[in-house]
Amino acid sequence: MSLSNILNNWSHYRRGAEEGGHHDYEHRWTMAINLDKCIGCNACSVACYSENNLAVVGKAKFDKGQAMHWMRIERYFDESEKEFPDSGASFLPMMCQQCGAATCEPVCPVAATYHTPDGLNAQVYNRCIGSRYCSNNCPFRVRYFNFYSYYESSWPEPLNLQLNPDITVRDKGVMEKCTFCVQRIRVAKDKAKMADRRVIDGEFTTACAQVCPTSAIVFGDTMDKDSQVAKLWKKQQVERVVTKQNKSNSELRGYRIFEELNVDPSVMYMERVRDTEI
Amino acid sequence: MIVSEKDINEQIKWAQINTDVLRSLENPRKAYWVALFICFAMFSCAVVAEVYQYQVGLGPTNLNNPHMWDMYIATFVFWIGMSHSGTLLSAILHIIHADWRKPIYRFAEAMTTFSLLTAGFFPMIHLGRVWNLYWVLPYVSDRGHWPNFRSPLAWDAFAISTYLSASMLFLFIGMIPDLAICRDNTTGWRKKLYTAISLGWTGNDRQWRTFRKTYLLMACFLIPLAVSVHSIVSSDFAVSIMPGWHITSFPPYFVAGALYSGCAAIITLFVLLRYFFRFEEYMTTAIMEKTAKLTFAIAMVWTYLNLIEFGATWYGHNMYDKELLIAKATGPYAWVFWTMIFCGMVVPFALAVQKFRRHMPTMFVVSLFLNLSMYFERWMIVAPTLSMSHQSHQWDVMWPSIVQWAIVFGSFGWFGILFLIFVKVFPSISMYEVKEMVYHRKREAELEGASAATNKPNLEGAS
Amino acid sequence: MKNYRILGLFNNFEEAFSALHDIRASKVPGVTIDDVTLNSPIEHPEIEEVLGDRPCHLPKFTLAGAMFGLVFGFLFLASAQATFLVQPQGGKPVIPLPSNFVLVYEMIIFFGVWATFFAFLFLSRLFRKRHNLYSEKVSLDQIGVIVELDKSKLDSLKDLFKQHKVLEIREEDIR
Repeated sequence: MSLSNILNNWSHYRRGAEEGGHHDYEHRWTMAINLDKCIGCNACSVACYSENNLAVVGKAKFDKGQAMHWMRIERYFDESEKEFPDSGASFLPMMCQQCGAATCEPVCPVAATYHTPDGLNAQVYNRCIGSRYCSNNCPFRVRYFNFYSYYESSWPEPLNLQLNPDITVRDKGVMEKCTFCVQRIRVAKDKAKMADRRVIDGEFTTACAQVCPTSAIVFGDTMDKDSQVAKLWKKQQVERVVTKQNKSNSELRGYRIFEELNVDPSVMYMERVRDTEI
Repeated sequence: MIVSEKDINEQIKWAQINTDVLRSLENPRKAYWVALFICFAMFSCAVVAEVYQYQVGLGPTNLNNPHMWDMYIATFVFWIGMSHSGTLLSAILHIIHADWRKPIYRFAEAMTTFSLLTAGFFPMIHLGRVWNLYWVLPYVSDRGHWPNFRSPLAWDAFAISTYLSASMLFLFIGMIPDLAICRDNTTGWRKKLYTAISLGWTGNDRQWRTFRKTYLLMACFLIPLAVSVHSIVSSDFAVSIMPGWHITSFPPYFVAGALYSGCAAIITLFVLLRYFFRFEEYMTTAIMEKTAKLTFAIAMVWTYLNLIEFGATWYGHNMYDKELLIAKATGPYAWVFWTMIFCGMVVPFALAVQKFRRHMPTMFVVSLFLNLSMYFERWMIVAPTLSMSHQSHQWDVMWPSIVQWAIVFGSFGWFGILFLIFVKVFPSISMYEVKEMVYHRKREAELEGASAATNKPNLEGAS
Repeated sequence: MKNYRILGLFNNFEEAFSALHDIRASKVPGVTIDDVTLNSPIEHPEIEEVLGDRPCHLPKFTLAGAMFGLVFGFLFLASAQATFLVQPQGGKPVIPLPSNFVLVYEMIIFFGVWATFFAFLFLSRLFRKRHNLYSEKVSLDQIGVIVELDKSKLDSLKDLFKQHKVLEIREEDIR
């Protein structure tokens, strides 16, 4: 039975990402982040903490680099030699890029992380044995490991009542990362299925996009050609499954981080426009 | 002055060989119990640390977001590397008929097996959820789960189990005739043990014939296997896309490094066994010289591959790789880097001097330096890459905590326990092969003597 | 009728071999070289010259084991991957050939090694009780020649052994 399965579907099982891959995608959840609009307020990060039951590890563990911020605001200083307000800070909201050809996936010894038909990079907490190879192989370093059990220390009574009931609280020894708020995606997909329609763009969004005061983060499905995010990608002439973007207008600001590593990220950033030459 | 000396005194009697080697199995002296106690105490440190880590999680090890791996993986690679020389050298030297391996291969192979048993702990210890370890094995589950055969860690599980079984069988098969000797010369519980595990060996021609074939075939399997095992270990790094890990020359580099550290460890144990068991007749300075020359050659191969890696990184001009290389040499980890370079590339030149090669205490110290360098090499592969990967926001310097140190320290104790028990229960010199060596050397000497006697008048006539 | 077994212990290979040469040359009628078993502390490299070629089928078992590893290994991996379709990862195909080659390589060696080991146990006839004539001196430094023969030939063989400086002779009735 297995043998006939291999023989009959051989060509299908040999299809890599370049030939379209194994999946017939249902959705391609993507993001577009306008860095020009980002003011570094960290609201997205806070929203992520409360939406996804992220553990607050405390100052000491944060200093040791054991924090759990799935969504982090990276600060870079263009003119670091100058004093604070003039040092040219720029911000980069960084979360899992949900790569199409993710480097974290093939190295997991137990297949705890895999590629879903929604184009997401899923992490199965129950399957994870904590070898942490995925984090080592992630060029963005956006995977976070539960170095301790936080369920008692992070949410002492009555703070446990604030936990989001839609998702789990992870125990020690498990890797976790941004899911593009997969619990919200599920709810939206279920609703659409019951009403027998497709998911409508703007029907829901991720926690970070929802709270962003400047609407710097746009989330949506690029399979839906009319969605805001698909239009943004098209306007910036950013393509998927390529290692070098072919743009007719070099002034366009859209780019994906570490394009040259061929990991095919699902997040497009739009460069910051400065009023001064650096 | 060139001193040429025989590998072994060929006039030594077969019965004498039995007596000398079996003497090493006699009831241990006080020093043995002290050594065993020290090893046990070291191992206890590791047990305490592991129990703590098991309860609390991996937090106390100081591992953090960029540094997901550290000493555990470096030590894993170190022990796997250590396991290479025993079996690989034994198999290669067996195939090319280098008979000077015969007095020293037994303990080297035991070292292989025990290093593997030590190394095997580390991938388990470093897991976040070690209790789910069996998920890495390919077993049929009613949930339809399989391990991910793409992951180099899953390859590790295959490679190490293959290597462990093959090297254990190689050690065991090679020991059967000696176990029969032990059976014939002991009493009490030892007699029962040896009778059981010598499997009824009587030394008849059918057994010898099959034995030779088996041993040769095993050696033929072990050479490609050992090379592949360390290549696979190097794939843990080379398959990733991280700067400083994604390097094409890693598999041969790792194999050379493995042989290097293994040879150094053989020298260390050689000196210890020779001293404690008074094996001067068998573990002779001539054999030490040959081992040292081999180590020197391998050290030069390792040096070359190291320099090639630096050169390729430098001229390859990949931004990430190059910056990492500069950071290794000048950054916070620079002292580790330069100690590795000094002990691994400069100290081995001591092996090129015959005076040092023939002086056991010097060799002991040199071999310890070489192993230190090899440990640092593994750590320099793991840690700096993680501290300086692509994403500059996550750059970080981290030093391992006491928990990691305790477990690594204890692993040496565990190895010591196994090795100490081995040398008292099993003959650490292959008696039957030393008999063979003596027999062949004697025949060669007789033949040479005979031909010299017949040639002599001719030579005189010619001159 | 081979109803007797006799063991002669010799001091070294040369003396034992000269006795065997005489047996080969049929100095004792009715006793052939095929009735002889040689027990020795080491294997003599030129043993075929005196005992004649005795076949050893071990490599066939090894080959069978390695071939099994090759075929079973690949089919096992490929069928496991083809039924575990959560495997699409990192943009790689469901059945990735490079990693399967690595694993099949290991499995060839794994099964080859174990097949060799079990063939060794089987072909060298281990796990049998040592017969009464087994001498502990063989594991020390003497060469034992064991011959199975008819009782009537016993005395002439003993004489032959004695010609070649046998150290000790033991016999047993195996009817």
